Amino acid sequence: MHREVGRGEAILEVRGLTKIYPGGVVALDNVDLEFKSGEIHAILGENGAGKTTLMNILFGVLQPDRGEIYVHGRKVRFRSPLDAINMGIGMVHQQRKLIPAHTVLENIILGHPEAGKILDFKKVRRDIEELCRKYGFKIDLDARVWQLSAGEQQLVEILRALYRGAKILILDEPTSVLTPLETEAFLTSLKSMSRQEIALVPFVTHKLPEVFAISDRVTILRRGKVVKRIETKDATMKALAEHMVGKEVLFVLSKPKVSIGGEILKVENLSAMNDKGLLALKNVSFTIREGEIFGIAGVSGNGQQELAEVLAGLRRVETGRIIFMGRDITNASVLERLKMGIGYIPSERLGVGVIGGFSLAENILMSLYFDKEFVNRGLLNYKKIREYAEKVISEFEVVAPSINTKAAYLSGGNLQRLVLSRVIPKTSKLLIANLPTTGLDIAATEYVRKRLLECKEKGMGVLLISDDLDEVLQISDKIAPIYEGRFVSILQAEEAQKEVVGAMMTGAYSER
Amino acid sequence: MTSLETLKLKLERVPVVSGGQAVRISLLSLVFSFIIFSIFLSIEGANPIDAYSNIFSFALDPNLGLPTTLHRGLFLLFSTLAFVVAYSARLWNVGMEGQFYLGTIGAFAVAYSLPELHPAILIPLMLLAGAIFGAGYGALAGFLRGKLNVNEVVGCLMLNNIAFWLVYLLTVGGPWAGIAESTSRPLPPNAHAPIISYTPFTSYLAIGIAIVLYVFLSKSVIGYKIRVLGNSPTAAQHIGINAPRTYILVMTIGGAIAGLSGYHMWAGDPAFLMIPRPEAYKAIGDLTYWGLIIGLVCLLNPVAAIPTSVFIGSIMMGSTVLVRRLRLPFGLDVLFLGLVSITFAAFQFFYMYKVRRMK
Repeated sequence: MHREVGRGEAILEVRGLTKIYPGGVVALDNVDLEFKSGEIHAILGENGAGKTTLMNILFGVLQPDRGEIYVHGRKVRFRSPLDAINMGIGMVHQQRKLIPAHTVLENIILGHPEAGKILDFKKVRRDIEELCRKYGFKIDLDARVWQLSAGEQQLVEILRALYRGAKILILDEPTSVLTPLETEAFLTSLKSMSRQEIALVPFVTHKLPEVFAISDRVTILRRGKVVKRIETKDATMKALAEHMVGKEVLFVLSKPKVSIGGEILKVENLSAMNDKGLLALKNVSFTIREGEIFGIAGVSGNGQQELAEVLAGLRRVETGRIIFMGRDITNASVLERLKMGIGYIPSERLGVGVIGGFSLAENILMSLYFDKEFVNRGLLNYKKIREYAEKVISEFEVVAPSINTKAAYLSGGNLQRLVLSRVIPKTSKLLIANLPTTGLDIAATEYVRKRLLECKEKGMGVLLISDDLDEVLQISDKIAPIYEGRFVSILQAEEAQKEVVGAMMTGAYSER
Repeated sequence: MTSLETLKLKLERVPVVSGGQAVRISLLSLVFSFIIFSIFLSIEGANPIDAYSNIFSFALDPNLGLPTTLHRGLFLLFSTLAFVVAYSARLWNVGMEGQFYLGTIGAFAVAYSLPELHPAILIPLMLLAGAIFGAGYGALAGFLRGKLNVNEVVGCLMLNNIAFWLVYLLTVGGPWAGIAESTSRPLPPNAHAPIISYTPFTSYLAIGIAIVLYVFLSKSVIGYKIRVLGNSPTAAQHIGINAPRTYILVMTIGGAIAGLSGYHMWAGDPAFLMIPRPEAYKAIGDLTYWGLIIGLVCLLNPVAAIPTSVFIGSIMMGSTVLVRRLRLPFGLDVLFLGLVSITFAAFQFFYMYKVRRMK
């Protein structure tokens, strides 16, 4: 499968790259790397391994404290991303930076240095069509971006970079938002691109298998240092993961045996609109019992968000009923639900789950401020709040200098631990976890899953919404694949086969 | 490559600015504005050191400028607090002007209709009426924002205009008209504010409110809710904070505080309403906008706003000597104030970004 590597010309090289942030955090420590044309060179690393810093330096967003960057053997200094782009470096961000209402062609032209002048659309179109042919992309240039799938949008970003003359493409978590089917198509495109004289550099935290499949060479970063360089053909997945985390990785969590108890949540024929006023959740019914994890598997945007928000009281119910512990809470407010012991872990951490400008203690307070134990005649009892915050923060292993540290300074995994430490101890009955591990590294992901299993052990009901099918299969007791706002089926975990669930959540399977 | 190597400065975003840094940056901005103004002083042939020492010795002399310094400075404090409480929920209360005018109307209406009341009853009544009128006016803008999603800046500015012309119509040729063209009838003696060490007692009220507000915002449950809402409306929604109600609440509190300044401004000295001619439009009301600058510079800390307000008051008062004592051209005093305010505002940049030298 693997081609011979190392024959291409080195396009980009870095030597002795070091970046130290104010406060003495060493993000990169003497990193040497070489990227050759015709090669897919994946950079692996956990959150906080220095990947983002490295990416930002390669793309001119940040400047290194020490070290040199060479493009085609010439020493350069990037003052801004514009310099990097002009030197032939392209970046495909994890968050798409396209304008949904514009066409593919318009998006590609946008920001091009020629775009200020009068445009020869015909010539531009010809050039881009030529590019598509060369790299084997199939895309309708007149389609509006919002009509495209996530995978196609990613291709548009790549086209945009190529049209600006990129010879090396940095891909930030390229497959993280794609469905299995899209991933396959996308990776094929990458593969064919790399046969040309382009260098591809995917940065990866999770979704190891996909990248493993297509890369030629892998470099692993840990705590700012290169800990392993290896050609893919000599590597195994398990070994890569171990190097990333720096310890033996448990890929399989053992599901504790818990007796399933009484009914906690009963949802009957629930429907809800999305923000655009379209019906996004259609007639969903299910129950969650004590000690049960109910997993919802699906590609983002199929009504999971709406379901989570309806259950948390953030979104209006159109039709149907929500019964919690035998009580109708269809129209109960957010606060009432919180007080009843329903906890919600939102999909967005910074800004929703926690507030960056608040200290850790003030963030923990978000789940306490309505609790009489911490309030004395309208005033907050900061002594008790601090004691409590100290306790949960050490219990959930949030790494921070003190509870007065601002949350904005925490990294991804730590931030999620903070969210968990705020929500879980104050949840007694039902925990709604919306994409709890998305964007986290292996260690943090494992941690979050363990905590969810712990909640189950304590007899809580857990509603797990995830776009990671493996995760749902691994820790749920019941699995509901969701597609276009409907549950395709509700399966017992033992009888759920990955292929079947995968087909169900992408609409490729219909139950008779 | 050379073009890429020349520029050696780089901006970095600061996640959270600390109180200490804010103080340093503000002091730096003051130094900067003083230096700039020195250039103008030199052009006009004045010795800057001499001018500055004149400004502050006048402003702080108990027999000369100090009473006005304190009176004006603490008037600014009322406006600042009115701004701070609303901005803690990230509402731009630029309606301090209108709330101040409404407070004025409330206080004067009480004084004119019950002139014989004992001061111990009349004065609290005036304050109460001022606060209620101001609160109502603030609540109106808060309601428009909270319930109908009308931008609070637009709402406040329009209400400000209405309030100004209400006072104008009452005073110039209206029921409250006095002998001089643009002043009202004098307040009854019972309504005059007692003076405690050079300044109306309401100055101390302002300081008291600042301290209470500090505790309210940082230690109370409602204050916490306001701050969560201000930092992230989505997070607030997720933990069950009612945004419309909170928006109305902060505007009501802000309005009440600004309304109190309606009494503070007029009831000590000169004890009657002075409405400038429309050409010299709204000179007093315009002062309230300092509340915005002071509030932001102090990072919404009501206690830090106390000395800052008094300091701005001292510049306001002291700079008048440039014209009167040093015989410098008219308008230089206003220029100085303008410089201070604009550098204050411009240096806000450093609250958000750090300039780093590239190696």
